[in-house]
Amino acid sequence: MVKSNLTRRDFLGASAVAGAGLLLASCSPGARSEAGTPGKAADDIHVALIGYGAEGAVLMDSLIKIQGVRITAICDIWNYHRNEGQRLLKAYGFEANAYENFEDLLAKEKDLQAVVVATPDFWHAPITNACLKAGLHVYCEKMMSNTIEGARSMVETMRSTGRLLQIGHQRRSNPRYLFAKQRLLDDARLCGRVTAAQAQWNRAVSEDFGWPKKFIMPADQLARYGYKDMHQFRNWRWFKGLGGGPLSDLGAHQIDVFNWWLDMTPKSVMASGGVDYYKTHEWYDNAMVIYEYPLPLGTARAFYQVQTTTSAGGGYFEMFMGDEGTIKMSEDPSICAIYREARAPSWDALVQKGYIRAKISAAEAADVVKVDVRETAPLAEYEIPVFFNKPPHMPHLENFFNAIRGTAKLNCPGDEAFKSEYVIHKANEAIPLGHRLDLTPQEVLA
Amino acid sequence: MIEIHVFEHRAMATTFQARIQGEEKSYAAQAAAAAFQRLNALESVLSRFRPGSEICQASALLPGEFLRLSEPVFACLSLAKQMEQITRGAFSATPAALRNQPTPPLWELDQRTWMVHCQKGKLDFDLGAIGKGFALDRMKEILEEWGCEIHLLVAGGSSIRAGQPPLDLQGWSCGLGDNDSSQRYCLKNCSLSGSGLAVQGRHILDPRSGQPAARDGRTWALCDTAAESDALSTAAMVLSHKELEEVLKLNCQWLAWIQEKDLWRCMGNRPLPARA
Repeated sequence: MVKSNLTRRDFLGASAVAGAGLLLASCSPGARSEAGTPGKAADDIHVALIGYGAEGAVLMDSLIKIQGVRITAICDIWNYHRNEGQRLLKAYGFEANAYENFEDLLAKEKDLQAVVVATPDFWHAPITNACLKAGLHVYCEKMMSNTIEGARSMVETMRSTGRLLQIGHQRRSNPRYLFAKQRLLDDARLCGRVTAAQAQWNRAVSEDFGWPKKFIMPADQLARYGYKDMHQFRNWRWFKGLGGGPLSDLGAHQIDVFNWWLDMTPKSVMASGGVDYYKTHEWYDNAMVIYEYPLPLGTARAFYQVQTTTSAGGGYFEMFMGDEGTIKMSEDPSICAIYREARAPSWDALVQKGYIRAKISAAEAADVVKVDVRETAPLAEYEIPVFFNKPPHMPHLENFFNAIRGTAKLNCPGDEAFKSEYVIHKANEAIPLGHRLDLTPQEVLA
Repeated sequence: MIEIHVFEHRAMATTFQARIQGEEKSYAAQAAAAAFQRLNALESVLSRFRPGSEICQASALLPGEFLRLSEPVFACLSLAKQMEQITRGAFSATPAALRNQPTPPLWELDQRTWMVHCQKGKLDFDLGAIGKGFALDRMKEILEEWGCEIHLLVAGGSSIRAGQPPLDLQGWSCGLGDNDSSQRYCLKNCSLSGSGLAVQGRHILDPRSGQPAARDGRTWALCDTAAESDALSTAAMVLSHKELEEVLKLNCQWLAWIQEKDLWRCMGNRPLPARA
C-alpha cells in the first residue's frame, strides 16, 4: 500500500522513507563528501545561507547539489521560512543551526568559510560588509544594495579585507552565455557591427505577497529589521528604501548582460516609467530604458523593458543585433536563437568549427553557373551548440566555491558588478527626471 | 451561502483552480497565489518540456549514472515508483519506454543521498500521469498552512483535491464525467481523478506493452491523495477488470469507477461517498 501521507512535511521527516523496497542499500560517495550525505570531508567548505525567501530557496536547491559544500547554518528573520529551510536541510543531511539574526550567526558559527546572502536588497550591504570583515567569503545576490553608496561600501570592504565577493549575476557563469559571448560575439563576430540590443522581462499582474495568519511577525520584530508592517516585509521589492522595483529585480540581470557583452558601460541613459497601476507600491509598475553605448565601430542603443502588468512579448531574453546577425539569449534555452542576415559571410566555417549548429543547412551552389531546380528550399536555421543541464544558479555558485579553493577566478566580483549596479540605479533615477542622463566611464567605477 | 472565492492559474499545459471559502477575498487570493507559486516551482522541476529541468536531467542519465534530486522531484518519483509496483506496471514513470527500447529501464532511489540511479536503459521520465495530482497535494499543504481549510483544488478538470466541505454542505459536489454528470458524489478530504480519451485521443500508453490503452471508456479513481488518484485512474485505463480488482483488494483506501457505455461500474473496498 502506498504511504499515502507523503506530504512535504512527512517526506522531510526522518521516518518518511519512500518504502524500503525502493531504496538502494548504499551509495558510494567520492573522496570529498557529497552534499546531502551524512559524512563530511575535511576540505568541505562550510557555508551559511542568510535569507531563505524565494531566492534563498532557489539557491539552496543548487547548493545541496554541489560537491564539497556543507550548509552549516541558515538565517532568516521569519520563522515560517527559517524553520522550513532548517527542516529541509536536515532532510538533505545537513545539521544546520538556525538563526533569526545574522549577527548572532556570525558570533556563534566559528567554522564558516563563506556565506550566501539572499536577503532583501537593503540588508545586502550591512550583512556583506560584516561577513567580509569577519573573514568570510561572500556570495551576495544582486542587486548589491538599494543604494549606490551601499554597493560602493561592499567593494571597498572586499578590497580592504581581501575576501572574495561574488555578486549573483548568474548568467556570467552560464556555459551557454559564456560560449555565445566568447565564441560567437567576440571571436566569430557573428553579429558583424553591433548596432542595437534589446532585452525584456515582462510579467502578468499578480497579487501582492501575503502571509499565513499564524505566522505574522510582531510589530517590534518587524521594526527592528526595518519594516513598517508585514505587507512591506513581504513586498519589499516595491518599496523605496528597501528594494529597487522591477528594474533592479528583473532588469539587473539583463542590463548587466548589456555591459558584459558590450565590454563597456553606457555613455547615457534615458527612461520612462510610472506607478500607474498598483495602488500599494512605491516603485514603478513598468519601465522602459534606453542606454547608449559608444562602441568602437559606432554607437549602439540598448533598449530594456520590464512590464509587471502584462506577460506579453515572448518571455525573457537579451538580444544583440548587428548588421550581419543577431544573437538572442535567455536562461530558457527554448528562447535562445541566432539569425543570419542575408548580407553576412557564409557561416559554414562556423558550423565546421563547432561554433554553431545548422538545424537546416543553407543550400549553396558549388559552381555559380549551375543550379538545381526542385522543391522550395527552407530558410537556413542555426542554433547554439551548448547543452546546459543544470539549475541556472549552480555554475555561478560553483565558480564562487572554486574561486575559494583557488582553482578559478570569480566571474562576477563586486567591483565588476558595481558598474552594472551603477547604471541600473541611474535608470531608476532618470525616470522622474524625464531627460537623458550622461554617464562617464569614471563615475561607474567603485 | 457564504461566497466561495475562485482563482485560476495556467500551469502544466492546463488551468488550475483554487476555490476557497471562509476567508476574506484578499486573504484567499494571497493564499491561492502562494499555492500557485508552489505549483510553478513544481512545474519548473517536474516538467519534461522544460529543458534543464531536474526531470530532464534525470531522463538523460546513462546506465551507471546518478543524479542528486531536490525534495519534490525525489518525492514525486518515490510515489511514482510505489504506484508502478502496486499497479504492476500499469502506471509507470516511464510510460513510453517500450516504444524506444526492448525492455523497461531500471532505476532506483536512494533516500540517504537523494539520488536517482539509472541502472539500465534510457529513462525518459514522463510524470504526466502523476505530476498534476502531486502538485495538488503540495498546493493543499500551502492552503492549510494559510488556514484555508475549506477548499477545492482542481487541475484542468482531470484531478481534484477536496479539503473541508463548504459550510452547511456535506462535501464538494464532484461528478464523474462532464456536462453536469448524473454520477455525483459529495467529497471532502480526498481526491478524485479521471482519465479517458475524449480530449487527447489515444494518448495513454500501456507501459507494459508500449501500445495504446485498450479501454475505450473513462476511468476514475478516488483516493486520499491526488498523486495516487491521478496515477490510479491512468492505470485503470490499461488494467483488465481482474487486474484492477486485485490491485484494489490490496488497497482499501482506493475506489475506482469504469465507464462502460452508459454504466459506471464501481470497484474497490473504500466506502462509497454520499451521493450529491
